[in-house]
Amino acid sequence: MLLSALEINSRKLGEHMEEQILRLPAEQLFQKEIDALIKAEKDPIPTGWKMSPKSVKTYICGGKVGRTVITPKYIGQERLVEIAIATLVTDRALLLIGEPGTAKSWLSEHLTAAINGDSTKVVQGTAGTTEEQIRYSWNYAMLIAQGPSKEAMLKSPIFHAMETGTIARMEEISRCASEVQDALISILSEKRISVPELGMEVAAQKGFSVIATANTRDKGVNEMSAALKRRFNIVVLPSPDNLQSEMDIVRTRVAQLSGSLDLNAELPEEDVVEKVCTIFRELRLGETLDRTQKVKTPTGVLSTAEAISLLCNSMALAGSFGDGSISAEDLAAGLQGAVVKDEDKDAIAWKEYLENVMKKRGSQWLGLYSACKELNKG
Amino acid sequence: MKQPYFFGIRHLSPAGAYYLREFLEEKQPKLVLVEGPSDFKDMMGDMVKEETKPPIAILAYTKEAPVRTILYPFAEYSPEYQAVCWCQEKKRECRFMDLPSEVFLALQQAVEQLEWKEIMEQEAEGENNEVTVSEHKLRRKDVYERLSEATGEDGQETFWERSMEHVLEMEQYHQGSNVFGASLRGMDEKPDRDMAETVIREAYMCRQIKKAVAEGIAPEDIVVVTGSYHVEGLKLWQQEDGSSFAMTDQEEQSLKRVEASHTLMPYSYYRLSTRAGYGAGNKAPAYYELLWEGRKQQDDDYAASCYLTKLAVYQRNQGNAASSAQVIEALRLAKALAAMRGGATPTLRDLQDAAVTCLGEGNFAKISLAVADTEIGNRIGALPEGVSRTSIQEDFYRKLKEWNLEKYRDLTAQDLKLDLRENRKVVSKKSAFLDLHRSFFLHQLRVLGISFAKEQAVSQENATWAEHWVLRWTPESEIELVESALKGDTIAQAVSFVLKEQVEKASQMSHVAKAIEDAFFCGMAQAVQYATSALQGMAVSAVSVTELAETAHRLSVVVQYGNIRQVESQVLIPILQQLYYRSCLILADSCICDDSAAKEIMVAMEQWNQVALAHDFLEEDKWVHALEDTAFRDDLNTMLSGFAAAILMERSKLTTEQLRAEVQRRLSKGVPAELGAGWFEGLSKKNPYALIARLSLWESLDQYISSLEEEEFKRALVFLRRAFADFSAREKDQVAENLGEIWGLNGSQVSEVVNGQLDGDAMEVIEGLEDFDFDF
Repeated sequence: MLLSALEINSRKLGEHMEEQILRLPAEQLFQKEIDALIKAEKDPIPTGWKMSPKSVKTYICGGKVGRTVITPKYIGQERLVEIAIATLVTDRALLLIGEPGTAKSWLSEHLTAAINGDSTKVVQGTAGTTEEQIRYSWNYAMLIAQGPSKEAMLKSPIFHAMETGTIARMEEISRCASEVQDALISILSEKRISVPELGMEVAAQKGFSVIATANTRDKGVNEMSAALKRRFNIVVLPSPDNLQSEMDIVRTRVAQLSGSLDLNAELPEEDVVEKVCTIFRELRLGETLDRTQKVKTPTGVLSTAEAISLLCNSMALAGSFGDGSISAEDLAAGLQGAVVKDEDKDAIAWKEYLENVMKKRGSQWLGLYSACKELNKG
Repeated sequence: MKQPYFFGIRHLSPAGAYYLREFLEEKQPKLVLVEGPSDFKDMMGDMVKEETKPPIAILAYTKEAPVRTILYPFAEYSPEYQAVCWCQEKKRECRFMDLPSEVFLALQQAVEQLEWKEIMEQEAEGENNEVTVSEHKLRRKDVYERLSEATGEDGQETFWERSMEHVLEMEQYHQGSNVFGASLRGMDEKPDRDMAETVIREAYMCRQIKKAVAEGIAPEDIVVVTGSYHVEGLKLWQQEDGSSFAMTDQEEQSLKRVEASHTLMPYSYYRLSTRAGYGAGNKAPAYYELLWEGRKQQDDDYAASCYLTKLAVYQRNQGNAASSAQVIEALRLAKALAAMRGGATPTLRDLQDAAVTCLGEGNFAKISLAVADTEIGNRIGALPEGVSRTSIQEDFYRKLKEWNLEKYRDLTAQDLKLDLRENRKVVSKKSAFLDLHRSFFLHQLRVLGISFAKEQAVSQENATWAEHWVLRWTPESEIELVESALKGDTIAQAVSFVLKEQVEKASQMSHVAKAIEDAFFCGMAQAVQYATSALQGMAVSAVSVTELAETAHRLSVVVQYGNIRQVESQVLIPILQQLYYRSCLILADSCICDDSAAKEIMVAMEQWNQVALAHDFLEEDKWVHALEDTAFRDDLNTMLSGFAAAILMERSKLTTEQLRAEVQRRLSKGVPAELGAGWFEGLSKKNPYALIARLSLWESLDQYISSLEEEEFKRALVFLRRAFADFSAREKDQVAENLGEIWGLNGSQVSEVVNGQLDGDAMEVIEGLEDFDFDF
C-alpha cells in the first residue's frame, strides 16, 4: 500500500516538475514531506537548520506527521542515523564510510535536504579534483582584467556553505589525492578560509558543516590521513544485515526509480526481488543463506545498489523489448553483467554457483537457471 | 491505619541508593525493612564493617546434593546495602524481610521438579502443548517490547537509565520508581508459576510489616525498601476493610524448607557483569560506580566525562591514539544524542556510540577492549579477616597452617619446590612427609579450580619425586574457594565430589583415567577406587587401541608411582590387565588404516610397549604375540608392520635371521616401492641404533636397491629419503660405515658422500621427484 502510494506520488511529482530533468534533488522530490515536517515542528531547531534533529530523523527513517506519510529513505540501523544527525548538531563534520552501494551518498543527500532544504552544495571527489575546487578559484579573464576582486572569485560549494551556515557535501573523498584531502583539515578545524589575494578571511557561519563519504573497498582510493580522520566523526554504514531488510531496500528504491525513469514495465514481483537479493547476498558473503554450502565470491562488490540497478535494467529491457513484465531472460542478462566483471575468475565462480546452488533449488528457480545457463554456453 | 513509607528501588541502582539515603534522612524511621532473605540478618554486622569493601555477596546453598544456590550480590551503590549502612550509622534497626533462604531454595527445588514433570507430560502428549508454552514466552517478551516501543528506546536498560538514573530530584525518583513498578505489574502477564512465587513472597513480606507494627513500631516510623515491582503488593499488608494479605502463622509454618547454610563472600565486578537475571543493570558495574561517584559529588556530567576519559586513557596505554580533543568531541556527541531523546545526561548507550564514532573511527572492534575495561573494571571486594567463613574456608586455612604454607598467602607470586620422598632427618611422621602432603593439598586446589597454586613443569630426571609450584594469593582465589563450598564442607570432600562428577559425566574411558590420575595426585585413595570401578564398566565397550593406550598409560603411572604417594594402587592392576588383553587382541586389526591414522596408532603402540615393559603382571607373551601378528601380516599398513618389527627387534624377540628374511620379503622386487619403503620407515622409527648394529639388514637393503629399475628406484627414493630424514649425522656416519663394509670401501669416504650437501644436479632431480605421480 505504502509503496504504491509512494509510486504514484513520485510519478505525479515527476509530471509536475520539469519533466526534462533526469533526477531531481531530494528536497524537490520530497518537498511535500519536508514542508509537512516543518509545519508540524514542535522541538527546538538548531541554528541554520530548517527543522529539529528529531524531525530530520523522522524524514530519513520514515513515520507520520499529521496526515502526511513520511516514506523511509534509509532502511537499516536507525541508531546510525541518530549518530549522524547528532554529529551535525555538534557542528562536527561527518564521514560516512562503507562498502560501495551502502547508501552513503543517498544518506548524505537526504540529510542535507532535510537540514538545509538544499542538497546541491556538492564537491565530487575524483582523482583530478584540485585544492581550488575545495577552496576557491578565479575567473581568470576577470582576474587579469581587473585584478583580484570579490567578483572575480569563484567560490567552491564548501566556501558557499561556510558563508551561508549550511552543510556542504564532499562525495568520494577517498578518491582525491591526499594533498587535496588535506586542504579540508584547516577548514574543518579553523572553520575559516583565508583569501590572501584579497587580504580577507571568511569565517564560517553557525550551522556550517561537511558531510563526506568514502569507500572502503573499491580500487583506486587513497588512504585518508589520520589528521583528517580525527576531524571527522566517523559512521560506518553496514551492508544490510539480513535478506528481508535488503529486499525492503531494493523494493522501495526500484519503485521510486521506475517512477521517475518512466520504465513502462511492471514492478518486479516479490519472488524476483527475493531471487536477486538471495543471489547477491550469497555471492557477497561466500556462502549460501542457510550456511550449509560455501560458494566462490566474484571480484565485484555486488552491492545493494547494483541489485537495484539490475532490476531497473531488467525492467527497461522488459518495457522496451518485452511484454512489460520481467522475464527470466531479462533477469539472466542482468545477472550475467553484474556478476561477471573480470572475465575468467568471475565466470568460473558464476558457473559454479549456477550448477552447485541454483540448479538444486528446485522448480521455482528452474526458469532462471535455464536462462542463465543459456547465456553461459560454450 | 497509616501506611509505612515504601521506597521502590531497582537493585544496583546508584540513583536509588543516593535518594534512598536522602529519603531515610528525611523520614528518620525507627525501623528499615529491606528486601532480602530474613535469615541473612546475622550478616548485616559484617556487611557494614569498616574493612568490608563491596562488591560482596551473600550466598545461600543447600547442604545436600544436588546443590542449589541463591546469590545476593551487593555493590556499594546497591540501595539495599546503603540502607543497611544508614541504619548502622544512625543506630536504627534494620531487618531483611523476604522469605528465608531455606524456603527460597525449597521453592527453587519444587519449581525445577514441576518443570521437569511438565516437560515429561508434554512429551507424552505430543506437540499440542508446545503452542501454549511458546505463547507464554511471547507474552513475556511482549512486556519489554511494548515498553521499548512505548518509549522509543532500544531496550529497558537504556530506558531505565534515561528515565530513572539521571533523575534530579529525590521525590521524582521515589514516585517514578513506584509508578514504574505498578505499570510493570499491570503489563506483566506472568505464567502462573512465577506469579505464585511472587504471591508467596509478598504475603511473607506483608507479614513482616504487620509483625513490626504489632511490636509497637508506628507505621510512619517504618521505611520499606523493596523492588519497585513489589510496592503495590506490599501495600496490601493492611487493607481499607481491615483485612490483610499477610501470611498467617499457619501458612508460615507450612512453608517447605530445605536445610541450607549461607555465607558472606567477596565478589567481583567481573562476576557481577556476567550474571543475568537478579538485579538487571549490572552489565557495566564500573560505569554504575562512576554514576554513584557522580551522585556523591553532585556532578551530573561526572560519569560521562569520566567514562570517556578512562576509555581514552586505556587506548593510550595500549599505544593507540586518543587525544583529549577526541574525548571532548565524544562527550559533545553523546550529549547531542541524549538531547535527541530529550535527556540532558547521556546514557551508557549514548556514550558507547559516541566513543565508537569519535575514538574508534566508527568501528567498535577498535575500542572493544577499552570498553570492557571501562564498563566492567577489575574491582574485587574484600572482607575483614575471619568474617563469616564457610566451613571449606576454615578447612582451607587450617590446612594452610597445618602444612606450613601460610607465608605463601600473599599477593606476590612465590616458588615452592617439593621433594615427595621421605625426609629421614626428622622424627615425626608428619614432618617426614610434609612435602608429600603439601603436594596432595595443592593438587586438590588445582582440581577444584582454585587459582592459588599453579603447577610448573619439572625436568625429566626427578619427575617422580619432585614438584614445582608457583603460589599467589588473589581475592579471586577467595571467591573461587567460597564457591567450592557448594561442593563440600572440606577441601577433601569437595575434591571427591568433583572427581565423582567427572567420572559420572565421562563419555570416554580416558576421561575416567584422568580422574583416577587426579585422585592419585590428590592422595585420595577412595576416589581412586570409585573411579576404578566406573572404569571397569566402561572398559567392556571401549574399542579403539588409541583410547585404550591413553587410558593404560595414565593408569600405569599411578600403579608405578603409587608408592611414593602412599596410595594403594593395587586395585588398578586387574583393570590394567583387562585393557592389556583387549589391546593385544585388537591391535593387528586396528592397523588396517591410512597413514594419518597410523601416526596415532604408532603412539599407542609405543605407550603400550612402555606399559608392558613396566609391569611384570602383564604377560609379555601376549604382547609379543600381538606384535608378531602385526609385523608379519601383509594386509596391514606397512609402516605399522615395520614399527611392530622394530619393537620386536628391540625386545630381542626377532632373530637376525628372521629379520633378514623379513627385510628381503618386504623389500623384494615386485612389491610396490612405496609399500616397501613405508615398511622400512616404520622399522627405522623406533631405534636407529638397533638397525645400525645389524649389518645383514643393510646388505639386504643394498641388494634391494640395486635390483630396482630406474622408475622403481625413483619411487623408492622418495620414501627412503623420508625414512632417513630423522637420522642424526652421527647415525648417518654409522650407516655409512656399514655400507663401506659391504662395498669394501673406507667408511669415512662413504660418510662424506652420505653426509655431504647434495650438489645442484642431485637436488634438482630430487625436487623433481616431489611432484612424482604415484598413482600408476
